[in-house]
Amino acid sequence: MVNTMRGKTVMWLGIGVLGAAGVLAQETQLPSTAIKIDLPKDSPVAFLTLDPRDSRFAARGGAIMVDLDALLTMRNTSANRIHGITLRVVSQEVTMGGKASVCIPRLNIAPGEVFPVHIVQHLVRPTAFASGPLVEVSLDGVLFQDFSFYGPDQLHSRRDMIAWEMEAQRDRDYFKRILTNGGRSALQQAMLREMDRPQLDRPTMQRGPAVSSAALAAGERSERFAFVSFPDAPVELVDGAAVVAGNQVRAPRIEVRNRGTLAVRHVEVGWLVKDPSGREYLAASVPSSQPDLQLTAGKTVAFAQDASMKLSRNGQPLDIRGMTGFVSQVEFSDGKVWVPSSRNLDETALRNVLPPSAEALRLTELYRKGLDVLVAELNKP
Amino acid sequence: MRAIKHPSEAALALHAGGDLGPIAQWRTARHLRRCRVCREELAAFQGVRRVVAEMPSEPEIPWNRLAAEMQANIRLGLAAGECAGGNLPASHSVFGFTGWRAALALASLTVVVAAGLMLRHPAAPAGQTVLEATADGIQVRRGGESLGMKHGAGTGNVSYSASAQGSIGESYVDPVTGDVTMTRVSW
Repeated sequence: MVNTMRGKTVMWLGIGVLGAAGVLAQETQLPSTAIKIDLPKDSPVAFLTLDPRDSRFAARGGAIMVDLDALLTMRNTSANRIHGITLRVVSQEVTMGGKASVCIPRLNIAPGEVFPVHIVQHLVRPTAFASGPLVEVSLDGVLFQDFSFYGPDQLHSRRDMIAWEMEAQRDRDYFKRILTNGGRSALQQAMLREMDRPQLDRPTMQRGPAVSSAALAAGERSERFAFVSFPDAPVELVDGAAVVAGNQVRAPRIEVRNRGTLAVRHVEVGWLVKDPSGREYLAASVPSSQPDLQLTAGKTVAFAQDASMKLSRNGQPLDIRGMTGFVSQVEFSDGKVWVPSSRNLDETALRNVLPPSAEALRLTELYRKGLDVLVAELNKP
Repeated sequence: MRAIKHPSEAALALHAGGDLGPIAQWRTARHLRRCRVCREELAAFQGVRRVVAEMPSEPEIPWNRLAAEMQANIRLGLAAGECAGGNLPASHSVFGFTGWRAALALASLTVVVAAGLMLRHPAAPAGQTVLEATADGIQVRRGGESLGMKHGAGTGNVSYSASAQGSIGESYVDPVTGDVTMTRVSW
């Protein structure tokens, strides 16, 4: 009896403390002046309006918490159709140096047309005498229909947006082909497979020890990559390994050879991990680390990253029993980009392992509204 | 009779910036209503805060000159303190203040300028930089700081990606715009 009363007292005390903490948090509506939109004078998009929606900030202890939920409207002021836009979203007061961006691929914005960009950001920074805006939004790049590009490209958004656009076209053609050849039931089956892709739990990554250190800690082993080969890929994977300990992987190192005729300036390798049942999951991509890579025809280069990840599936640590690598993206010196074709994915059973492309994601969302909606979309020219 | 307990200089400085918690803010405001000395000190802090806020951004700060000025201010403060110790008559003033007040004001100004600059450009937080996906978005965090992108409420299927170069991303169809949106954070 006494224990019950004490328990209730503690419970009400807890509720009281939580309530007081809520009051002390002093949450305040974020004014639109706290957000600065910074576009170059010759930008192909113009900023029209900013709706701060439910943006708020609060002082908690020694920190300021900013919850930005802003809806921007922009206009295409260029003479070309816009197919993608990437914005950098930064806070000058954050001292740890992180970067954040939002990209809208698969746009089709005609000249003069207005389009929205929705930015939802959460920021915690030390209390400071802030005299400027809390959040600054600037343009990193705009991709046009003809793959021409405008912008400072500090985040390499040109290469990413071109690759995403190519993957989207590839996957749209794939689903159209299924509808044409197999009809509605085949499309439905493909959509169900699409929605049942095996995924690892949400990723967490840290910087591991320097990759130059070959020493293995206790319990660690060096695991070699097996490679999937695409006959038409401009580069081939020669060798590679990473350090594995239980469900932790770190320090991937990969060697690639340019087997084509064009010089290559960027390579990205998909990194699959295998569980004890032999099922594979995409862990990460491993991009070439050299910012000024010039991999000419016939040459070989090795690159390494110092990231460290713990992998789990359905809340359980993943017992890593093998690793596979495949070429997922290549950028040539002339700016052209290569991504695996539909045939590459089907012949190697990679289609159901890779994360959905922007188009696959969009089509899946349409399928949730009904098969008719999806069919109507795919029947558009 | 109970002696009046004045708020600390730090409390007054934080009060000037509106950075005190609500209870401390209320207590300080209550004290200020009946204490002229603290009101004057608060006014000095507010003045300095305005100066700090109007200072140019980091690349334009003349650190060497600032350091020299701060050293000179400290020396001046100490000298004024010595004067107040007996060499000057009580009526002698520096910049309109009597000796001990001048020393206190200059020392306070120095502390506030230094504190203001430190708060404006705080040191990088200690600890490991972590990239992670959370229930409602992705973020990079280190120490007590974090920078993240969130998918809004009502978002359906979210797909995550990671790059061993130090970034994670998420893709989803934004429920507000209906567009596929890809966000990314990196270290």
